[in-house]
Amino acid sequence: MTSVELINIEKHYGGFHALKDVNLSIAEGEFVVMVGPSGCGKSTLLKTIAGLETTSAGTLRIRGRDVTRLEPGDRGIAMVFQSYALYPHMTVAENMGFGLRMAKRPKAEIDAAVARAARILRLDEQLEKKPKQLSGGQRQRVAIGRAITRSPDVFLFDEPLSNLDAALRTQMRVELSTLHAELGSTMIYVTHDQVEAMTMASRIVVLNRGRIEQVGAPLDLYTNPDNLFVAGFLGAPRMNFVAGEVIAANGSSARIVCSGGLEVTFETLTTQVGVGETVTLGIRPERLRLGDAAAQIRIAGNVRLTEYLGRETIVYVDAGPLVTTGSDSGTSVFTVQIADVRPFDNGSAVSLGFDPADAYLFASDGRTITPSKPVAKI
Amino acid sequence: MSTFWRNHRHWIAPTLFIMPGALLFGVVIILASAETIWVSFFDWDGVGEKQWVGLANYVQLLDDPQFHVSLKNNLIWLAMFMLAPPLGLALALLLNQPVRGMRVVKSLFFVPLVLASVTVGVVFTWVYDPTFGLLSLIFGYFGATAPALLSDEHLVTFAVVVAALWPQVAFCLVLFLAGLNNLSEDLIGAGRVDGARGWPMLIHVILPQLREVSFIALAVTVIGALRSFDMVAVMTSGGPFGSSTVLAYQMYEQSIFSYRFGYGAAIATVLFVIMAAFIAWYLRTLLKPEREGI
Repeated sequence: MTSVELINIEKHYGGFHALKDVNLSIAEGEFVVMVGPSGCGKSTLLKTIAGLETTSAGTLRIRGRDVTRLEPGDRGIAMVFQSYALYPHMTVAENMGFGLRMAKRPKAEIDAAVARAARILRLDEQLEKKPKQLSGGQRQRVAIGRAITRSPDVFLFDEPLSNLDAALRTQMRVELSTLHAELGSTMIYVTHDQVEAMTMASRIVVLNRGRIEQVGAPLDLYTNPDNLFVAGFLGAPRMNFVAGEVIAANGSSARIVCSGGLEVTFETLTTQVGVGETVTLGIRPERLRLGDAAAQIRIAGNVRLTEYLGRETIVYVDAGPLVTTGSDSGTSVFTVQIADVRPFDNGSAVSLGFDPADAYLFASDGRTITPSKPVAKI
Repeated sequence: MSTFWRNHRHWIAPTLFIMPGALLFGVVIILASAETIWVSFFDWDGVGEKQWVGLANYVQLLDDPQFHVSLKNNLIWLAMFMLAPPLGLALALLLNQPVRGMRVVKSLFFVPLVLASVTVGVVFTWVYDPTFGLLSLIFGYFGATAPALLSDEHLVTFAVVVAALWPQVAFCLVLFLAGLNNLSEDLIGAGRVDGARGWPMLIHVILPQLREVSFIALAVTVIGALRSFDMVAVMTSGGPFGSSTVLAYQMYEQSIFSYRFGYGAAIATVLFVIMAAFIAWYLRTLLKPEREGI
């Protein structure tokens, strides 16, 4: 059954076009995470679903009911805010019961709902405290509890873990996933943290400049990004991009040359390209191999810097005339990720290698034109 | 010297900065108040010898019908001034709409704050004038005759308080507008998601956030009502027949015009005690949440 349906949603702020023709259908019980860079419209979209923002055009349905013009309280949603937004003058119990109290539910029912939420979130000891007396993690739990007591059709989360420290964030991430499994409710979650997106989502929605770039399961999006933006946005460290030009094309195969004279041949492109077209080659840091003589494409370079992260090593390699574009580090060097710890001397010569089958090719409009790669089964 | 300065500047510098203010406050407020209380135990015309009379001034106050009128009028001021915070809040909520041109409307409401209270008094004296005032015009429009508010001993205090309420409401309005600007948008959003709107939204979500502002508005209003003086002086000089005097005005009248400084000081002391009681309550309420760490 469809839980939430967005049909041609548009949003204008004066002259600013915040949401552009957003269409999305979310099934009952899904955990959908919306990600994107700041200003991409993900929070606006969430607030639009909540009813805190109006839509300029389009229809919004929750469980088949048109709620486009309804007040937030009448939509069957509950929301957890980044700032927690707890009522400071109310106790934890009053905070959690406020929604039901506004709905004029009998006191016994409110008490039961609050007790149940408190049990799930381990807040039984805190019910009589005021929000100020709680820690950040506890406050976030109260905010979640306030959502649970209303037994909404849809839970909305607006960057709920951003204000927590790293350890607590990991803990709450696990708790939220557990909670989703326990309640089985539809949840829509906005974050700029791709780790949260990859770990919690049943589906990820990538937004950019008010438009949905791609929707899909985390590993699908990671393995088969539809375009340059999604390829660059998901994955840390980021994919290496190299600008190139098509020098020979024959049916679905094409040969490209990159700066520094590197030539790569792609055999089965999904779209034909013409000679002279500018393209972008992409290769994930973990798909670049150091000193592998068997690799089909090999690049000579020097180690610029090495980061030892304990279980993995990130090596930045300067490949001379061959430069990458738009990297995380703001330089034009290649990022290589190695799954173990190996020492490298700065300045030492290394050979980078990869297979064209592991690489991506993006057309001049940013679309991915290499065929889909097999997704790891989980 | 430099070592001495380095070791002790953490208390020397603040002390030096506080000194001028403390000195001024000590002389003008503390010393003057103490002397006023002292003077209230004497019979004194302001120039000649002071004569110790003990509590005689206070005993006389108890039987002074004029003092009872002043006290009663102060209570009327206090009660009617309590309208200022809710009226100011209502206006602030009304004016806090994102409508084009609202800034101009807002600034119009600030006008009485710009005017000296003496001006407000004079303007209202004209408004109340039974022959050519605005009030008589309005009454005349309906074919009625306007009451002479300022010469009616039963209505005069109410008329003066209404005039004084004008700037007081505007003051509360400014406070609440500032408070409304600082509302948490997320909190209002949370309230809307929880289904609160209209009255419940105001009571449960908006007002608790305005608690501190309301408290300041209330305190300023109470103090404003108790120290009311200038409006009475300008509009009625306490008349007719002393029916619109308040404690502050009676004190001034007794001391300056009747040369009874001891008696005036006794009235001032009573007013001081009333104020002190209120301020003690205020500080207690203000400091309580701080002590509880909330």
